[in-house]
Amino acid sequence: MKQGSVRFVFIFSLLSMALMLFGLGWTIQNQFFSGDAGSSRMEEVEPAGEAATSIKGKFVVALGDSLTRGTGDDSGKGYIGYLVEELQMKTEEKITLQNFGVKGYRSGQLLNQIQQAEIQRQVKNADYILITIGGNDLFQGGQTLLEMNSEKITQARKAYLDNLQKILKGLRSLNEGAVIFHIGLYNPFIDLNDSALTTQIVRDWNHETSRLLDQDQKAIYVPTFDLFQLSVNDYLYSDKFHPNAEGYKLIAERVASLITW
Amino acid sequence: MYSLVRNELLKIVRKKRILVVAGIIAILVGMFTYAQWKELDRRLERFGDVDWRTTLQQQIIDAQNRITSSGISDEWKSQLQLRIQQQQYYLDHNVNPVEPGAPTFMRTFADHSITLFLPLMVMVVAADIVSSERSAGTIKLLLTRPVKRWKILMSKYLALLLSISIIVVLFGLLSYLISGIVFGYQGWSAPVIIGFSAEGIELNTNAVQLIPQWQYLLMEFSLVWFVALVVGSIAFMLSVLIKNTPAGMGVMLAALISGAILSNMVSSWESAKYLFMINLDLTAYLAGKAPPIEGMSLGFSLIVLTLWGLAALAVSFIVFTRQDIY
Repeated sequence: MKQGSVRFVFIFSLLSMALMLFGLGWTIQNQFFSGDAGSSRMEEVEPAGEAATSIKGKFVVALGDSLTRGTGDDSGKGYIGYLVEELQMKTEEKITLQNFGVKGYRSGQLLNQIQQAEIQRQVKNADYILITIGGNDLFQGGQTLLEMNSEKITQARKAYLDNLQKILKGLRSLNEGAVIFHIGLYNPFIDLNDSALTTQIVRDWNHETSRLLDQDQKAIYVPTFDLFQLSVNDYLYSDKFHPNAEGYKLIAERVASLITW
Repeated sequence: MYSLVRNELLKIVRKKRILVVAGIIAILVGMFTYAQWKELDRRLERFGDVDWRTTLQQQIIDAQNRITSSGISDEWKSQLQLRIQQQQYYLDHNVNPVEPGAPTFMRTFADHSITLFLPLMVMVVAADIVSSERSAGTIKLLLTRPVKRWKILMSKYLALLLSISIIVVLFGLLSYLISGIVFGYQGWSAPVIIGFSAEGIELNTNAVQLIPQWQYLLMEFSLVWFVALVVGSIAFMLSVLIKNTPAGMGVMLAALISGAILSNMVSSWESAKYLFMINLDLTAYLAGKAPPIEGMSLGFSLIVLTLWGLAALAVSFIVFTRQDIY
């Protein structure tokens, strides 16, 4: 065996080496000397395949900020996770969830996000669209409360409402039938000084949002303000801003009660 | 010369080194295939349909979320940002970055193996190629032959080159054949986008080109081979310099592992880019990842590695031809 196998190994290795040398030459040619690479250049965008994937059961798309992502919930589910769990108990149908929430998103960023082809494709398939947005527009990481500048807040609200209007319009143009839920804001600072003032601001904000949603028959404003009103600290995470698991469960229950088949 | 090389190759084959390496590769490929298959399964369960666009979009969202967390380092942040832009580019052009199939498995496996795993496999062959003759005493028999010393060393080096070539090709073949059982053998012509380059945190897509996967694999494996060659040359030098095989292996291992660790935290130590172990990740340039140190490029790394390889060879030959053997 020895002589034969050595010859085989020898030939095989020579071939391998030749192949690798050729490949290296090609790589160097391609990477350093191909100039403008003419023919192999990327042609412009071909439209993403429509092929609306047929999804069995109900399809839920969640958009928005850290509340959608579930920040503050130790299990990482967020209200979306608990909501789906709860709905799953009510029905035999399979519920599929796509969560596109990004921490820190403001309404402008969400508006950009729904211009993306893949997000649009998913929205088209959705039966329910859940949105949490606006918290970062208003609180801006606590900045708003330090300044308490009513002019600035009005400005922020105007920009937010403008964006939200466009978002709703965008979603509707993609999907006429889906029910859109917008989760309202609660006041995480209700236990602090100036609670009367912050409450006023949040209420106004929610009120305007709710009024905007009234334009659309199948858009529903879901209030959360009352849920957190009395014992806000029991339902907030240690950052005193995001809900904890219990808080998320409260929101999920409320939304679940609104969804019927 | 031919018979000398043949003789050296015979020694390597006799020692069953290549078989051992093939065995290790096969086992690892089996494990990774299984792991990836499980992962796919889990995803199927969680998201229902496993449309790649859905998965990719989720990865983008995940990365976006990670960027916003405060504990994250600046380098990692910019890497994530680049990755997001790249993935978005794939998504916008409707190209699946991981077309299911054995060729894609080969691609990712080679990507992950180039800095540590394959160099280790090369060491299995290279580490004792000279020093074992020392410790066994056979070197005296070898040197009493009427052949010049440099020819003997050259024959050993050529045999090493040949075995490295075998190892790299076997690596490709085994990962293709084994992973294909689960993922299928299709996907050679799937499109791959190359030519991304990083400019700070912005992704430059001017030079982007679309090539079929087999071309990408050829390029990738040739780079893997080149890295294996340089690592082999350095291990070869150590084998000449250090009589004790385990000690030589230890030095080489330390270098390789320090490279893997350093690449993650070296960005502020600029002169580290002249170390060979920082430059091993050649395939990352093809894929358009951000280099560990600003200013490194494929050309730069190729030159650094070539210089290291040549220097190692020169040292080996000079030392070996002048050394007292007793």
